[in-house]
Amino acid sequence: MWTYNKVLEYPVNIKCTDPKLAKVIISQYGGPDGELAASLRYLSQRFGMPDQTAKAILNDIGTEELAP
Amino acid sequence: MLMEEDRCCNCNNDNMNVNINLCDDKNEMTRKEMLKKIKCLRFAVIELALYLDIHPDDTKALCLHNKYCKELKELCDKYQKVYGPLTIEYPCNKWRWLEEPWPWEGGIDNVDL
Repeated sequence: MWTYNKVLEYPVNIKCTDPKLAKVIISQYGGPDGELAASLRYLSQRFGMPDQTAKAILNDIGTEELAP
Repeated sequence: MLMEEDRCCNCNNDNMNVNINLCDDKNEMTRKEMLKKIKCLRFAVIELALYLDIHPDDTKALCLHNKYCKELKELCDKYQKVYGPLTIEYPCNKWRWLEEPWPWEGGIDNVDL
């Protein structure tokens, strides 16, 4: 189950705002080839994964990809 | 789950060259320093867990994981007692989850970019 921690894994302050770059970055998170899509793919693939090691790594990386 | 007891291990923590140490005296740590150390420890625990998934027999990594889990738990408990919850699983008498800024709204300890 997903639980939220009120910290970022790598925290940043944006000093110079750049809307064009922001668009690219946000699509890396939620876009068609972004982390959100990747995380759900990993988490779906683990259900059919027979290997114990691969099952664990799919579960744990899927979880990391999901975390904003 | 986090380990309370000292599990394993043949290796001595003093001999480890890998060390997360931003501030020696925990009592003198400011809020920023505490949060920074929590983030470091969380990062280390997460990455060690991913490593251990594919190298489950590496006792050195396992020791480090146990050590950092323990430190993380202690520090999180200490931080939350004073500054409010980091997760909704921390019980409070007053609902303090709304009080602190969210990380994406410029939480308190971010690196400048």
